[in-house]
Amino acid sequence: MRLKIKPEWLLLAAFIILTLPPMQRFLEQSMVTHMLVQLPALTVIGWIFGRTLPESWSNKIAPWNRWGITGMALAIVIMTYWMLPRALDAAVSEWYVELGKFITVPAMGIALGVSWPQLNPIAQGVLKLEFWATFMRLGWLYLDLPDRLCANYLLSDQRVLGQLLLLIGSAWAIAWTLRVMFGTKIINT
Amino acid sequence: MSATEVNGKIEYSDPENRNALIAVKSHLIAGFLVFLLMMIAGFTMRAAQGTWLEIGADLFYQIMTVHGVGVVGAAMITSTGVQWYFLRQYVRLSNGIFWTNFFIFLTGVVLILGSIFVGKYGGAWTFLFPLPAISMGAWSNGAAALFQAGLLIIGVGFLILYLDFGRAILARYGSLARALGLTQLFGKEPVDYKHPAAVVASTMVLIVNFMGIAAGAVVLVMGLINLFYPEFKPDALLMKNLIYFFGHVVINATIYASVIAVYELLPRYTGRPWKTNKPFYAAWFAIVFMVMGVYPHHLMMDFAMPNWALVVGQVLSFGSGIPVMVVTGYGALMIVYRSGIKWTTSAKLLFLSMFGWWAGVIPAILDAMVTVNRAFHNTLWVPGHFHFYLLLGLLPMLIGFAYFLAGEGDSKEQPKATDKLGFYAYLIGAFMTSMVFLASGASSIPRRWAAHMPEWVSFAQVGTVAAALVVLGMLLFIIRALVSLPGASNPR
Repeated sequence: MRLKIKPEWLLLAAFIILTLPPMQRFLEQSMVTHMLVQLPALTVIGWIFGRTLPESWSNKIAPWNRWGITGMALAIVIMTYWMLPRALDAAVSEWYVELGKFITVPAMGIALGVSWPQLNPIAQGVLKLEFWATFMRLGWLYLDLPDRLCANYLLSDQRVLGQLLLLIGSAWAIAWTLRVMFGTKIINT
Repeated sequence: MSATEVNGKIEYSDPENRNALIAVKSHLIAGFLVFLLMMIAGFTMRAAQGTWLEIGADLFYQIMTVHGVGVVGAAMITSTGVQWYFLRQYVRLSNGIFWTNFFIFLTGVVLILGSIFVGKYGGAWTFLFPLPAISMGAWSNGAAALFQAGLLIIGVGFLILYLDFGRAILARYGSLARALGLTQLFGKEPVDYKHPAAVVASTMVLIVNFMGIAAGAVVLVMGLINLFYPEFKPDALLMKNLIYFFGHVVINATIYASVIAVYELLPRYTGRPWKTNKPFYAAWFAIVFMVMGVYPHHLMMDFAMPNWALVVGQVLSFGSGIPVMVVTGYGALMIVYRSGIKWTTSAKLLFLSMFGWWAGVIPAILDAMVTVNRAFHNTLWVPGHFHFYLLLGLLPMLIGFAYFLAGEGDSKEQPKATDKLGFYAYLIGAFMTSMVFLASGASSIPRRWAAHMPEWVSFAQVGTVAAALVVLGMLLFIIRALVSLPGASNPR
């Protein structure tokens, strides 16, 4: 007999695993895993949850989220806040900021999941480009800055993160180029 | 087959077409007015160098900054008008996005003008790190930031427009490679002689400008961070590479966007079609890489640059432009030869642009040689090259298109006396302006100097007379555009 598990339960399980203190400490001990694993994982959980919302919920949200603008504005505000080094630092040091992170980042994912498909393709392109440029700018910044941006993380950690951001940004640019130039789809860019 | 018959044109509703025509005319008129103001700025600088006008050094550098950035901006907005006018006939483009870019551009222009004439920013369009942050009191950090923010905003507007170009081209052709004609070039599809040249050129412009503006978006923000957080000191050479990649690609792309007017209009005037073929596709494919790879010829004096980059810059500069110039120049000669073409002002200007494009690149090729570059690059030789290229190559394409849009190409009337006066004043003035710059460069007169030594003054004075002729010609063109363009219906 095949065990049938609803995707919502899987998402909840993934969320609970991320909140467990050992996993939380493990991911937050390094700037790299904090920014490139924990935060994206929380966002993806929210995103998938947003895509699987019951129809009655979606219908209630829809009049408040025409063309996905409200949801994207909310997502951008949350994203901007969590890009501040002191916000990330505070999440490591203070439990209530950490709690706020575990609520707002999945909420950002939900807003993205609900709003992104409704967004005009041109607006999607602008945001993707801005996101790509942010990877490159932050990567460069983390590599070149003489000071630590986060009091909780080492300068070497910051530099590794900078290199990884530049690497990911470059890979994304190549994948995007192959897609529009030759129609080759490596990943969903 | 009609002269301009190509694969399936897009049908729009009448209100859409009317709105599009107003939008294109707005781009042309705004662009030409900026060009005229920049020409007056250029005239002022030459008169100051020629001791006929006394202005302070700080004002000179502010004018120099606005002249540099203003001409590039005017070239971008006007050439985009030309490109959009023709591209929308083959792919479905949005009027709303076109207008959006126009208003974002105007917003950016206001910010830049404010930074220069209110904030006194005079660090040249190049905003080379670390100059914007170390003005020694000539301007504030806020003024430098406003300048870079203005550029950033203009870049965002163009990115939005290019996304619309990309969306529309992909919707019709599936991939940019197919739109560029690569599937035909490499034998995956039979050669289609009616594949629109406007689509091929627009795809090339879209690719290179997208890359150039993306690099600009990164480097401008890094510069802004440095202004407000001076402890962050990015690698100066990397900054310079990105700035020149951005700047060179953007200004170079304007001529590739405007040449669409030659492909579309000369066939109308000669009654012969401009057929696309494999050499045409190969040339445009090559130029995608060449336009992006030649910028190191601006960095040949930077000893810390890797040798291989300078070699690539030199080799590509030799070849850059040649493929497209050959197919376009040869194509233009072939369709004009014995065609019985009526030499309207529009036809004359478009044909003149071929000469300006070809001849204007020669001083650039000379300057791209490392040994010549060491002696010439910081002299007026370089303005000589790009004034030739822009005044006699780019602008005739744009003005020629404006004459066409004003209905001149289709009318039976002879060119008016003012048109003839404008054409010859502009031709002589532009040629003289460029040649005086080149002669000054060959005499080792440095560029970007507010005050000239007594031995150099006579060059500047001849340059001032030449600039006055250019201003006169442009003024006559603009009066004609302002009188004829607003009421002109869409030429068939």
